[in-house]
Order: sequence, then C-alpha cells, then structure tokens
Amino acid sequence: MINTEGMIAQTAAKIYGDLCGREVPHEAEAGKYPQDLWDALSENGLPLAWVSENNGGFGADYDEVFGAIWASAQAASPVPFAETLIANWLLDQADLSPAEGSASFAILGGPNGGLPTADIPFGAHVDQIVMFDEALGEIALFDNLEAARIDMDALSPDGATRFVFSGHRAVSSAKTGLSQRGVEALILTVRAVQMAAAMEAALNLSIAYVSEREQFGRPLSKFQAIQQQLAVAASECAAATMAAAQAASSIAQHRDDPEKAWHEAVVAKVQIGHSVEAVTVPFHQVHGAMGYTQEYDLHHYTRRLWAWRDALGNEHRWSALLGEELSKGSPDHVWKGVTTGNWVDS
Amino acid sequence: MQRFNFPVVPPDPALEELRSGLQAFLKEEREAGNFRPEPECWMASADPEFSRKMGKRGWIGLTWSSQYGGRDKSALERYIVTEETLRAGAPVAAHWIADRQHAPMLLDYGTEEQKHDILPRIAAGECYFAIGLSEPGAGSDLANVKTKAEKVADGWKINGQKIWSSGAHICHYMVALLRTSPADGRNRHVGLSQILIDLSLPGVTIKPIVDLSGDAHFNEVYFEDVIVPDDCLLGEEGGGWKQVTGELAMERSGPERFLSTYITLETALYQLQGKMGSASHARLGKLIASLRTLRGMSWSIANLLHRGVSPEAEAALVKDLGNRLENDLTQEVRALLNDLPADEWSEDMHRILNIGILRSPPNTLRGGTTEVLRGITARQLGLR
Repeated sequence: MINTEGMIAQTAAKIYGDLCGREVPHEAEAGKYPQDLWDALSENGLPLAWVSENNGGFGADYDEVFGAIWASAQAASPVPFAETLIANWLLDQADLSPAEGSASFAILGGPNGGLPTADIPFGAHVDQIVMFDEALGEIALFDNLEAARIDMDALSPDGATRFVFSGHRAVSSAKTGLSQRGVEALILTVRAVQMAAAMEAALNLSIAYVSEREQFGRPLSKFQAIQQQLAVAASECAAATMAAAQAASSIAQHRDDPEKAWHEAVVAKVQIGHSVEAVTVPFHQVHGAMGYTQEYDLHHYTRRLWAWRDALGNEHRWSALLGEELSKGSPDHVWKGVTTGNWVDS
Repeated sequence: MQRFNFPVVPPDPALEELRSGLQAFLKEEREAGNFRPEPECWMASADPEFSRKMGKRGWIGLTWSSQYGGRDKSALERYIVTEETLRAGAPVAAHWIADRQHAPMLLDYGTEEQKHDILPRIAAGECYFAIGLSEPGAGSDLANVKTKAEKVADGWKINGQKIWSSGAHICHYMVALLRTSPADGRNRHVGLSQILIDLSLPGVTIKPIVDLSGDAHFNEVYFEDVIVPDDCLLGEEGGGWKQVTGELAMERSGPERFLSTYITLETALYQLQGKMGSASHARLGKLIASLRTLRGMSWSIANLLHRGVSPEAEAALVKDLGNRLENDLTQEVRALLNDLPADEWSEDMHRILNIGILRSPPNTLRGGTTEVLRGITARQLGLR
C-alpha cells in the first residue's frame, strides 16, 4: 500500500478534492488550464516537499510525498505536480534552489551527432526545465523557451514536447554526485505510483459503471463473465500497487544513495508496464461504447497509462535491461533479490 | 483509499539469519544424493526420512510452543523455511500439511491430551495429516459434502467417502469436514463439523489414485462405520464451515502458491549463464519482476496473519496471481532454453522441466479453483 495518511498526502488530497472535480481534466484539455489548482498546490508549498530545508523546502519523508502523488494521479491531475516534484528533487541533489513556478525534467545522454535533445512531459506548460546530464555529472535549470520546442504527437493529455538544446544558457547549474541509475530510480518510482493510482481510479469507475448499467434486465455486475474479468483486473491493480509501494519503500530507505533503489524501481516499471493492457482492455470492454467517448472520464486514466508506460522507454526495454543484468549474476543473487529486495549487496 | 490491504514489510535481519543453516543443509543433502529436486515438491515429493531429518534439526514445528514439542518461533520463521525448501525442490510433502494447518488447528481446538500426543510427533517430522474436504460430489461446491458423522454413545460414527486426499496413504490422521446435522433448508453451511480421524482405525480404506504422470500421491478414502471418540470433534459442532473457510484463507497466500516451480527457473539459470539472447533477457526480467511483486504480496499477508488480521480476499487474490505465475514460469523457461541446444541440457534440466509440465494442472485447482478465487475477489469488489 501507498501511505496516504500523512499530512502532505492529506493536504494534496484535500486540494485535489476541492479544485479538481471530474469536470476539471475535461476543461483542461479543452484549453482551460486550472491555474487555481496549481496556485493552491504552490501556496501550500507542496511542489517543494522533497527540497531540503536549506534550499527552502521541507525535506519531507518520501513516503508522505508518494501519498500526495497518489492523490494527484487519482484525480487525473492536469497540472505538472509530479513533474515539478521530480524537477525540484533533481535541483536539490545538486544543492541548487528550486525552480520558479512549475517545472519538468529531462535526462540527457550527451550530444549524439547533432544537437542534444530530450523529450519532456508537460513540456508545453511548465515554466522551467531541469536537465540531468550524466556525461558532465551536472544538473542544470533552464527557462522554458518556445523556440527550442517541437510539439510531438502524444497519447496523453500531459502532452510531449521535444526540446532541442542549442547553446541555451542555463539559469543555474552545478555538479552532482547523482548517477543515472539514481535519477532513473526516482522517476520510475514516481511514475509507478501514478500508474498504480490511475489503475485503481479506473477500476473504481468500472465497478460503478457495471453496477448501474443494465442489460438483459439486470445490472452488468450480476453477470459472471463481467465479475471474473474485473476480478482479474483488480488483482493486476493490487499487484501494481504492491510493486509501486515496494519501489517507494526502497527509495525512501536509500534516500542518500538512490542508486540502490534502482532494481526495485525497475521491478515496478516492468511489472506495472506489462499489466497496463491487462487492466485497460477489460476496463474499456465492460464500459462498452460509453467508455471511449470523450465525454466520459475513463480515458483520463487509460490514456495516461498508455503514455506513462513509455516513460524512459517501454516495459520491454526495461525487462531486457533487468534480465540482462540478472543473467550475469549468480542464481543465488537472483534469489536474494526476489526474497529480500536486496539486489545490491552480496 | 486503496481497495486491498498489502502493507510493505521490509525483510527482518533476525529472520534472514535462519536461511544460511537451512541452505547449507539442503545443499549437503542434495549433493549427497539424498534427494533429487522437483517442482511441486510440497505436494508431490514425500520422503518420511527427509522429514525426520528436518524435524531433528528443528525446521518443523516452528510456530508452536516447546511445551508441545514446537520451537517457540513464529509463522514468519516458518515462511522463510518453506520458501527455502521450495527453492531447493526438497521432498517436504510428508510433513507440509500437518505443519502448516493441522498443528495450528489442534492448538486452537484440540484437547491437552491430543496436543501432548500429536504435536511433538508432527514437529519431529514423524506424524502426517491429510486434508479431508473434497468428495465425489463436493469439489468447488464444498458445502455439498455428504459424508456423515452420527452421534453415538461414546463418540461419532462416520460413513462416506473423501477424494483427492493427497498423501493419505502415508498419513496418520485426517481432519475431515463432515455433516453432523442436516442442512437448514437452503442454508447448507450449518450442520457441518470438523472431525479428527485416526486413519489406522477399523473401517477406513485408502485407495490410491494414479495421476497423469504415473504418480500415486492422492487417494480415495472410504469410511465405513468408523467410530472416533467425542474429543475428536474439533471446534464447535456445526461450526465447521466457518472454521474451514478461515483455514483456506490462511493457506492460500503462502510461498507454495507461487514458488513451487522456482526450481525449474533456477536450474535453467545455472545452465544459461552467459548464453542468453536479448529476447530471453526480456523474458527473464519480466518473470523476475512478477516473482518479486508476488513475494511482496505474499510476505505482506504473512505479516498480517502474524498480527492476527485475516485478509481473506487478499489471500484469494494472491493465490490466483501466484498460480498463474508458477505455471507461466514453466512455459517461460521452455522459451529461455531455446538459447541452449537440447543436447547440452543437463539431465536434471530435462527431468525437472518435464515434471513441472506434468504437475501443472492441479496448481489452479487445489485449495480453491481460479474461478472460485475470482468469485471471492468479485465479492470483495461489491459485484456479487
């Protein structure tokens, strides 16, 4: 389970409850950005939750913040709350001040022939962009420049924007000891929590729908074929939440060395990525045609799931990465990882 | 709000210490040729001599008090022991069921005399139990049991038949769900009771059933005017249904529900080191991610049970996911092994893979079929 009882999680849940009702994600997609929602999150300092106290944040427990991310994803957040949390976490890792306003993040592998580029979630909406450059061991903050952006075709309402970094001057930058795996651990864990939350929200919609909708003179929920489909989907949701919670617990435990949380984050990425079809297919199936209309809410979750499973590469890529690494170690090492979650120490 | 209750429980270093001694013992026994590893070892590989060795070393009876021959440890230690023996594919079937569910049942419902008599023998790896639930007319529809126990002057008189009783031919006792009074109209859950039956009593006949692999590890058990004393009624007369469903919930989430084929994967990993192609890497990564996730869920439930919470719906859900995973595992290993020419497979690899395939059908049947489990989950979702 993701702990949603903490103060930060409760505050986020309250703000989303008050200012992100079911119509808000619809309106956001129609072009009416919910500035009041973003302002409320900001005024409460929530995007700074992971920033250390020296840099103006409140150095919150990882657990508490994952609870807030859970709440935002269950509300199909149309504002870049999780992205800003990640961006500010990165800045803090280089002891830089947090972003002004909203922010997103990019991982740069270094120049590759042409100009360095990166694909950035919420790239069209955020004020600033934090870039992690492993080759230089550097984290840098940029203003979001329209000239650098190429809008890409996106599955999700979060959008996707490709940035071309062409001699842009950073607002600030600093060296960091953070490794690529440490950065991946945090990003994959945040996405895992969002995905598990979105899956459960979509499950709730499906249960409510089949309980109301009648065909052949009775609610769909009374048909065994419907019950069994949703039972299977619900078990996949439960597994997704466990995988996300294990990853969250691992990075909380290794907050000073997030690279050590990489394996549990990858496990979550792979487990959840592979279960997206196993849940979105039955959710849409039991909703019939209503489920794929724009007017209905289901797509706020299913489209995000389809987009989020591609974050930093899809589940197939990450399965292969994990499998390749484990195939080189001893079977004892694999067993230890499976049973204890300790994939690092011998 | 989250629909299911699966708290993350990190490993406990004190519990982890248990592993090394057990791993060394299992390795030694295997290398000495005292057992050949097999998938589904907890159901189908029974070796009383091996069970006695485990008993002697203190790896049975962990969950109960030394007053009754136990080890004064907990179900969490037992969890570690069971997962290590499954990993090794060791012949643990003889004592498994008694250690898992009948000893706790006797602790709850047995007389002092029964506890002193039977529990130390279970802990020593010498006394085995069979489950007495299924009947020819009562499979998934368990409430349809017809075998009767009639009150007589000095106890209960039992007539009828149980079926699919694993290991009954080597077991000393069965705990059977029996009808002790008629159903109340359509409510068949009343009038059922659990009774302890000494399988050496006159009137008990045990006939083996041979399975598709040629093994005879399950049985038909017939009762003809079998008389057991009064104190063999376990728990409340008429309370059998509630007791049994509680018991099923306890046994559905253990490591045997998702690790029973792990030996197949581990055997393949030894052979495939450095030989896997990229397609196999992806298969392996996916499999390991599922195993790790299921371990988290199963361990979570073990800790809830340890704290006295009984998460029936979560347990059903873990069994469904776990049974699918252990059968998928066998199929995935078949795919992985394409990276190695069949004439380079070890003899063990062939044997273990074949046994895994032949023993796969019961995984999704025993202890609650997939369909029954999904029904439980659907009820939890409020759909029925």
